[in-house]
Amino acid sequence: MANPRLIGLLLVAPALFAVGALFVYPLGFSVATAFTTKEGVVTLGNFHRAFELYSVDIGFTLVIVGVSTLLCGALAIAIGGYLTLGENPRAVAILKWLYRWPLFIPFVVAAQCMRTFIAKNGLMNNSLVSLGILEPIQTTSLLDWRGIVITFVWKQTPFVALLVAGAMASLDRSTIEAARNLGAGRLRILVEIVTPQVLPTLVVALILSFVTMMSVLSVPIMISGESPTMMTVDMAFRINAYGDYGTANALGVLSYLMTGAVAWIYLRRGIQQGGRP
Amino acid sequence: MAGASLEIDRVEAAYGPVKVLKAVSLAVKPGEFVALLGSSGCGKTTLLRAISGFVPIASGRISVDGRDISRLPPDRRDMAMVFQSYALWPHMTAAGNIGYGLKLRGWDKPRIAERVGQMLAMLKLDGLGDRMVTQLSGGQRQRVALGRALAIDPRILLLDEPLSNLDARIREDVRHEIKALQNKLGITAIHVTHDREEAMVMADRIVILDAGEIAQVGSPEEVYNRPASAFVASFMGAGNVVRLAARREGDGIVLGAGDLSNEIRVPVGSISGLAGAQVIAHFRGEAASLGAADADDADRLVLRGRIAQASYPGGHWRYGVAVGSQHFMVDDPRRLNVGEPVGIGLPLSSLHLFAA
Repeated sequence: MANPRLIGLLLVAPALFAVGALFVYPLGFSVATAFTTKEGVVTLGNFHRAFELYSVDIGFTLVIVGVSTLLCGALAIAIGGYLTLGENPRAVAILKWLYRWPLFIPFVVAAQCMRTFIAKNGLMNNSLVSLGILEPIQTTSLLDWRGIVITFVWKQTPFVALLVAGAMASLDRSTIEAARNLGAGRLRILVEIVTPQVLPTLVVALILSFVTMMSVLSVPIMISGESPTMMTVDMAFRINAYGDYGTANALGVLSYLMTGAVAWIYLRRGIQQGGRP
Repeated sequence: MAGASLEIDRVEAAYGPVKVLKAVSLAVKPGEFVALLGSSGCGKTTLLRAISGFVPIASGRISVDGRDISRLPPDRRDMAMVFQSYALWPHMTAAGNIGYGLKLRGWDKPRIAERVGQMLAMLKLDGLGDRMVTQLSGGQRQRVALGRALAIDPRILLLDEPLSNLDARIREDVRHEIKALQNKLGITAIHVTHDREEAMVMADRIVILDAGEIAQVGSPEEVYNRPASAFVASFMGAGNVVRLAARREGDGIVLGAGDLSNEIRVPVGSISGLAGAQVIAHFRGEAASLGAADADDADRLVLRGRIAQASYPGGHWRYGVAVGSQHFMVDDPRRLNVGEPVGIGLPLSSLHLFAA
């Protein structure tokens, strides 16, 4: 009879190989490249150059993704809250049907849609002008950092709302009724009773969204090509224009550190809950 | 604050096409403890939720102290409810849960702390105020839920099977505690339960619901000793049912089960609405006694049968007695053998008679 240990190893080997070849090796290679010159000498020069040229973009990236994450959270709570506490069944059904749509649209398509929507002569401004809310002279283009935030929030809110609304729906309904019975209004119930109970799910959804938004290249390129921009654009530029993998990888390591910091929060929460993800 | 009166006038409610409450009317006096009793699906919880505002009523009127509250949202009805699952907020401490209603009423922190302290002491939860509710036992959680409801000094307390998740022993203690508290505070209380004994022990009046309608309203003694219908008799524990032949003789009615029993004579007025020749008699196992199979007593109906089954639930023996093709459960202090012929002796007072 074959050695069961060997069979076990054979069974996990394809998965191990895929993780090793497609994740561990490229990651290790990138990190190593970030700390070496083209000649293979260990150096911090790549980081020095990254900070020198792109420190504004690094801060800009953190602010954009941070603000987008917070807005996603606020909107997801509002959507989940209405789905859970809304008393107009028709409005609840329409919202339930509508809010998930952006989930199925790729970032690049979302960015293209936003370009035509929020440009100076885009659909939004044209509509506002034709409704008499704005004069044509007052219209401004939102194709800058605001456009990136709008696109990110539009694209990621449904994902956060999906998880949050699911968690809200699985709450013991009587905890909501108990607050209502004591005299709490619906907004107060959302803030003081429902949201605290779904906080763990909300935090996980926001962390996953943060990591996703940190890695998007198409949206900042298409919405706002001008400086300052996001780190992903800088990384693509260093590689495509200069073949400068060292600086690009140094920026990559900084991205890892940012996402790593939020992943640490996620893992710490998992440990607190006894290892559950 | 003293309890309020509650008037329910021809209230109807439905879940989609299914009518759950059918013209239910009930008047509850201030400070009264009323139990809504019935089996699953009878509408008792729906009635409680209609009173609290969580189930909209299709027609009728609910008023408190004469003020119509039928269309008010739940948060403006000024009632306090204790839920079956307790519905405590797991992200708050025991004190946080108890004090939440007071926070909603705009009380300042020291005043809330003082009131919460009083509630904790009253409910024997001293020292547990800072504990998260998830760290409390079932009985303690139940008390916190009660404290949360009582803290706001409600005029009407609604109890939705609050004891059903407790151990049998704790449940008995808590029954008496809730009743004593309600008496002391003078609150009007509406208590939903499917536990007959719980309703009997706690309530001043019992409302028995059947398929969305009130089957009987009365004091515990009334509904127990004088059930108004066969359903109420069965529900109140008179689960043995025997069909008897009835014939009128002078100013009385003679009842009997043919070869399976003797005949007894009852006054005409003891069976309301008797038109045909059949009567249904309900009796409790503990109200019967076992004697000789050939006994013939003028004031006792004796059903003749054999012991088919015996068990000892404690304090007395419980026998399954086969009479013809029917089985009856009867309690007796003596030990008898399976197969032994016996007569089930039923004094007239133990029989609840209804026209078939």
